[in-house]
Amino acid sequence: MADNSFRDLCSGPQRDRRNQWRIMLWTFLWACSFVAVTLGIKRQWLPFGGALTGVIATSLLGLATVHAYRRFLNETDELRRKIEVEALALAFGIGAFGGLSYWLLELSGAVPATGFVWIFLVMIVAHPVAVLIGLRRYS
Amino acid sequence: MKNRLKVLRAERDWSQADLAHRLEVSRQTVNAIETGKYDPSLPLAFRVSRVFGKSIEEIFDPEESR
Repeated sequence: MADNSFRDLCSGPQRDRRNQWRIMLWTFLWACSFVAVTLGIKRQWLPFGGALTGVIATSLLGLATVHAYRRFLNETDELRRKIEVEALALAFGIGAFGGLSYWLLELSGAVPATGFVWIFLVMIVAHPVAVLIGLRRYS
Repeated sequence: MKNRLKVLRAERDWSQADLAHRLEVSRQTVNAIETGKYDPSLPLAFRVSRVFGKSIEEIFDPEESR
């Protein structure tokens, strides 16, 4: 049987597709703002007030993204909700417990200190991967 | 849990997409229910019952395990 996981990710009732576009739009705006503010602060393009405004704007875009995702979760059909919740649990588990384990290894000197940002990156990658796995499982 | 969704759908000559549209769920959800990979919630089971004009017991068999 052909693997329809990716098609299923983009299909579903029109309501879901509309909500998914909303999430992508807000995520894109948030990512653009995040990159712009990061560069602005690191390369000192922004004065202190501008940096603060940028951080607040990025946070508001992040809240809008969370709101759009919450709306998607509330309105999507029940199987997709189950897949999303399982993916969120997995991403959180990997991020929280994997991150703390890595921190312990850092303390013991077994691994180099890399900071905590990578934990969020791992969580961001783990979620869509887990969604795809879930879609395959129920295909 | 076994169900007669596929048979009832075939009797009406509906595709999975047709049934999904009537139930306001994704085609994948219909497929997962038909293949026994997913058991629907009670509200969705009632919608299935309404769409086919049959009682829940006539469509879903709780005695059969996966």
